[in-house]
Amino acid sequence: MAAGPAEAGLLILAFAAPFLLLIALFPSYLRALTRLGRVADDAHKSPPTKVPMPAGPLLFAGLAVGELAVAIGFRTFVPVAVAAGAGVAFVVGLVDDLYVLGGKTKPALLLLAGIAFVSVSFLQPTLYRADIFFPFLGDTAPHFIIYTVLAVVAFPVVANAFNMMDAFNGEISWFTLLTSLALLVGVTLRVLFQSGSSPSRVASSLPLVAVAAAFLAYNRYPSKAFDGDSGSLMFGAAFAGLAVVGGVEIAAMIAIVPAILNSFYTLSSVKGFVERRKMTSRPTYIGDDGLLHASMDRDAPNTLVRLVLLTSPMSERELVANIVALTAVACVFSVVISLMTWVI
Amino acid sequence: MRLLPLFIIELVAFLLIILETYVFFIFVVPLGPIPHSITDYTALALLKMFLILVLGALWFVVLDGLTSFYVRTRVRTAPRRPS
Repeated sequence: MAAGPAEAGLLILAFAAPFLLLIALFPSYLRALTRLGRVADDAHKSPPTKVPMPAGPLLFAGLAVGELAVAIGFRTFVPVAVAAGAGVAFVVGLVDDLYVLGGKTKPALLLLAGIAFVSVSFLQPTLYRADIFFPFLGDTAPHFIIYTVLAVVAFPVVANAFNMMDAFNGEISWFTLLTSLALLVGVTLRVLFQSGSSPSRVASSLPLVAVAAAFLAYNRYPSKAFDGDSGSLMFGAAFAGLAVVGGVEIAAMIAIVPAILNSFYTLSSVKGFVERRKMTSRPTYIGDDGLLHASMDRDAPNTLVRLVLLTSPMSERELVANIVALTAVACVFSVVISLMTWVI
Repeated sequence: MRLLPLFIIELVAFLLIILETYVFFIFVVPLGPIPHSITDYTALALLKMFLILVLGALWFVVLDGLTSFYVRTRVRTAPRRPS
């Protein structure tokens, strides 16, 4: 990638525009949510506190501004595809925030995010390549139909996986920030070491990092804002889209292994798609000591949080630190795989 | 160190993802000659679907086994607490 001054400026803009916009608008947006009574119980506090929700609309606005800047600056539809997929997921999430969708309706509607994303390939046929690169082994033959079907299915899978990582103060913002950084490294290495890859793919990855970083300031313990499903589904859809346009599918899957495991545990222990608010048995509870405990109920769903709490009861802050540690390790694996794929 | 078992589960999941994705794209997708009749086409499609299910089941069985083992050992050694 030979980034000239103009491209370097665009890369800075792709990060700075959404980041500064969110930092500037968050305080007044949260005040407006509070004034409108849009607050949710922070259930893991004793007694529960009220936190403004959903921050998803502002988060999506930040992402859209960043992707729009990249689209105009690089004259490409790549960020449009990412924003389209994220936008549909955001709308589905917002409907869920306001009316609560069923456990099966949400994944079904999220397929529309994948369809919106791949539809942009009619405007830009080079939107994604239908082959997958493996470390040391190189790329597979292109399989356009199979790859496109998998890309569409990836949207509900990844968006739901991100959604399930949104239960504790700072969990989703840390998770999105770390995984989007790992994705950014993968895309940058690919663009640097593979001829024909455009820096616009790197630029398209920057707004998600910026939005997650800005949101972390308000979502970290003790949270001043919750993203709601509109935020977490949008994060997941943007991540899925960026993994596909960046051509770093394997590294992306590895970075989100904690979320994949979390979804797998939940789905396998509750035997299907069940809206989390309708689960009969809770995986964790707050003890008299004010700490979070793993439920010893045999019917309790096996979430990642429960598995971490089985090591010992802990405070919400310690729990999130442990989940961040698991995510960080997965992201290190992801970066190693990117290095092995594109550099070595 | 108390997270070590979970790091190991994570590592196994990561290795299986790479291995199974490789098997899927290198062996399963291009499997067999180009079918010339609807019967051949259906048989090949069913065989590929079966192989995909086998890959999925392998991931499920390995991860479920590891996790169940982890949960059983932790629950057995944990002090009794209300559920």
